[in-house]
Amino acid sequence: MRPDTQKAYDLICEQIITLALPPGQAINEQQLAQSLGLPLAPVQEALKLLADDHLVRVTPRHGTYVADVNVPDLDQISELRLSLESLAARLAAQRAGPDDLAVLRALREEQLAAHAADADARRLLEIDHKFHQAVASIAGNRYLAQTLDHFFGLSLRLWHLLWAGPKHPDAESLPKAVEKHLDLVDAIERHDPAAAERIMADHVAKFYEDVRAHLSGLA
Amino acid sequence: MSTVNHDSLVLGIDTGGTYTDGVLLAYHARKVLATRKSLTTKRDFAIGIDNVIDGIRIEDPAAISMVSVSTTLATNAIAEGKGKRVALFLIGYDPELIANFKLQARFATPHYFYFAGGHDLYGREKAELDLAGILAQVLKIKDHVDAIAVSSYFSPLNPEHEQRAYTAIARVCDLPVVLGHQLSTRLGSVERATTAALNASLLAVLQDFIIAVRRAMERRGIVAPLMVVRGDGTLMSDEFAARTPVETIHSGPAASAIGGRFLSHLEDALVVDVGGTTTDLALIEGGQVRISAEGASVGGPAGEYKTAVQAANLLSIALGGDSHITLARDGQLAIGPERVLPLAHLAAEHPDVAKRLHALVRRQWSQASPDWLEYWHLLREPPQSFLADASNRQIALIDALRDGPQPVPELLKRLKALHVGQLDAAELHRQEIIGKAGLTPTDLMHVQGSHAPWDVESAGLALEVFSHHVPAPGGGRGSDPGAVCARVWQRVTEMAAHAIITFLSGKKLDPPGAVDPERDASFAPWFFHHSLYGSHPYLQPEIRLKVPIIGIGAPAGLFLGPVAAALRTDLILPTHHEVANAVGAVAGSVMVSEEVLVYPRLNEIGLEVLGYYVQTGEERAEVDDLAPALARATTLARERALGGALRSGADNPQVVVEQQSDGLDMYRIRARAMGNPRLS
Repeated sequence: MRPDTQKAYDLICEQIITLALPPGQAINEQQLAQSLGLPLAPVQEALKLLADDHLVRVTPRHGTYVADVNVPDLDQISELRLSLESLAARLAAQRAGPDDLAVLRALREEQLAAHAADADARRLLEIDHKFHQAVASIAGNRYLAQTLDHFFGLSLRLWHLLWAGPKHPDAESLPKAVEKHLDLVDAIERHDPAAAERIMADHVAKFYEDVRAHLSGLA
Repeated sequence: MSTVNHDSLVLGIDTGGTYTDGVLLAYHARKVLATRKSLTTKRDFAIGIDNVIDGIRIEDPAAISMVSVSTTLATNAIAEGKGKRVALFLIGYDPELIANFKLQARFATPHYFYFAGGHDLYGREKAELDLAGILAQVLKIKDHVDAIAVSSYFSPLNPEHEQRAYTAIARVCDLPVVLGHQLSTRLGSVERATTAALNASLLAVLQDFIIAVRRAMERRGIVAPLMVVRGDGTLMSDEFAARTPVETIHSGPAASAIGGRFLSHLEDALVVDVGGTTTDLALIEGGQVRISAEGASVGGPAGEYKTAVQAANLLSIALGGDSHITLARDGQLAIGPERVLPLAHLAAEHPDVAKRLHALVRRQWSQASPDWLEYWHLLREPPQSFLADASNRQIALIDALRDGPQPVPELLKRLKALHVGQLDAAELHRQEIIGKAGLTPTDLMHVQGSHAPWDVESAGLALEVFSHHVPAPGGGRGSDPGAVCARVWQRVTEMAAHAIITFLSGKKLDPPGAVDPERDASFAPWFFHHSLYGSHPYLQPEIRLKVPIIGIGAPAGLFLGPVAAALRTDLILPTHHEVANAVGAVAGSVMVSEEVLVYPRLNEIGLEVLGYYVQTGEERAEVDDLAPALARATTLARERALGGALRSGADNPQVVVEQQSDGLDMYRIRARAMGNPRLS
């Protein structure tokens, strides 16, 4: 990828995920390029890539939009993530080697430290995200990791929606997520695929429950 | 002209320390169609590039099929410590050894950490990799740095620990991670660490630069591949450059050498590029730029950094058209090292300066010391962020300069300071908020009429004032301005000849003016002096340069004519020599070099050879015998170089493979794929 396309992709993705570009917002390519201080061509390239990631929708008549968040979409994505992330956790428990465990332990340490230091939601979110990515990569199946990676942007945006929205979700949900992660690391360390799969499934299911509750609260 | 119409148009740009030059070239006809020069703004190299791309005369921007840039950006960012913050992870290095030889100063970052691991000379694991320690340190430092560099002991032979570290680090943080073995297959562990750290610190710097160039191209309607010049004068695509910014070190002087060769058609010559700030020397041998056997060195804030990056063999001295001419206490003339704006240039833009110089000449000589010839001027309004933390002195200084340029003694009086140090101006100069102007060789050229784009009269007045204070050769005060000019050029010639002789001989010689060649006991200064001036009654030593000098840069003719005469050789000034650097930015070949190492696999106690490893950047294969191992390495190196060159935009690249033995049954197979850039 050309370096300016990479930069455009990173910056726009960040804006969509953090809701600086809110769902449904129309995108004017010229203005966006101007505001990012980038040439037009890489911005257009990046928007195409983001359309592949389902974060941007390009319609022939109405131009380019930030993808909406809607319940039917959410149901389909949660279905897929639930089974794929559980699969990733199971495979990770079967396949994790010493280097992989070192990574998970380091992330666990970081999570505990951040938690003890009362880190803000954003920070906890980043760690949570890293954790899921690490499990997907430790599962050792390239196609699985790539497929999941495809949806991480969407999931992250949901997190932001949850935490930035007018109705704050259950303040307990992040600490609970942390506990789940601790259990998950234990299960992977023990090489217990069944437990790892179950913990991950619970964890992802809980997340989508929160999102649904939040969206219905908004409606 | 009809051939030009069907030719490919290419745009070459060189961002030097003083000027940014652009040239529009008909590629195959080697014809320069348009040129453009703009002052370089060091705090933002993109400004000069914008001016050149916006200002150069191009009839049909859409017809341009390549843009190529050489830049001192990397060298400059390193020198001024403007690279990003880097954490350097050293695996298997011996901290005691590093400390004993004080090598840590060469790592180019204060954040370096040691971890267990690494391999030995036969690629065997020396110690287990301390991955937990590495990850703990990453989490501790990741919010305080912008990039991570990893270098493991003997990683070119076995990069396993670097790769494992990379995989793990990338899973816990989003910082860019640079691995030593990807940048260098040389075995020197400190150079590899330095190279990795510098590369990491330059990633974002070069990325921003490339984006700025791309924006300027887009504004002008230029849709074409963008190439960047390496320190050895070859080209790489912008995508490669964004990953290996460290390879752009010294790309400016290398481009000058290539441009000099391209315009002069000479196969063997010494290329001397006289810029505003520096004079750079490089050699052309058999049509190629001579490459340094050691890696490129680059000056940092705390001393010299030695890298493992291939670069032209060159020498840069602080002598140029805009070098400040000053008078030392003992009455000796000094030229440089500081670069200032020529007074003729300042006066052309500020008529008030011309008036002040008129008044100065009429004063008594004791009231008109050479200090009055140093002017400070406001280059730009300081940004709000600067004003917020500015000292009272700094604000007073900026206020004073808002009225126009001021001579230094005037500033001292206005701000009630006794000496320049009290003005608190260092940071203002560094950030290019205020600039200095003074008497320079460029002013002398105005007086003599050889190069006079600005205010000739002011240059003459300044020289007159200065000459009053230059001691006459026989003692006594005051010299004739013509005689002072001659003495300045004489010193310039001595400095350039000294640089050429030390560069080519690799020997030390006291710089001109440092010792009296007649009184000093050693032979070398005497020999040098009499080779130049031939004033000994009986002996005539001669130093003769066997190749011609190709002069590059606007002042080259005036600077180098006497130098060539003193060294008894010809000075060649090709047409458009003043923009040869920018020509060189497009004249280079696209090159990708790949090395594969072959070394023995030993048994546990290291006495028996069990087979051979074939080690490419990422992978290691085992082969039973040496011959098939070398054959395999050759194929691999060839394929990788060819693929890389095609990806990097080479047209029909040709591959040359060479095999080299490092001793100890170790072989290095290097493939270089080179081709002209593919024009769109």
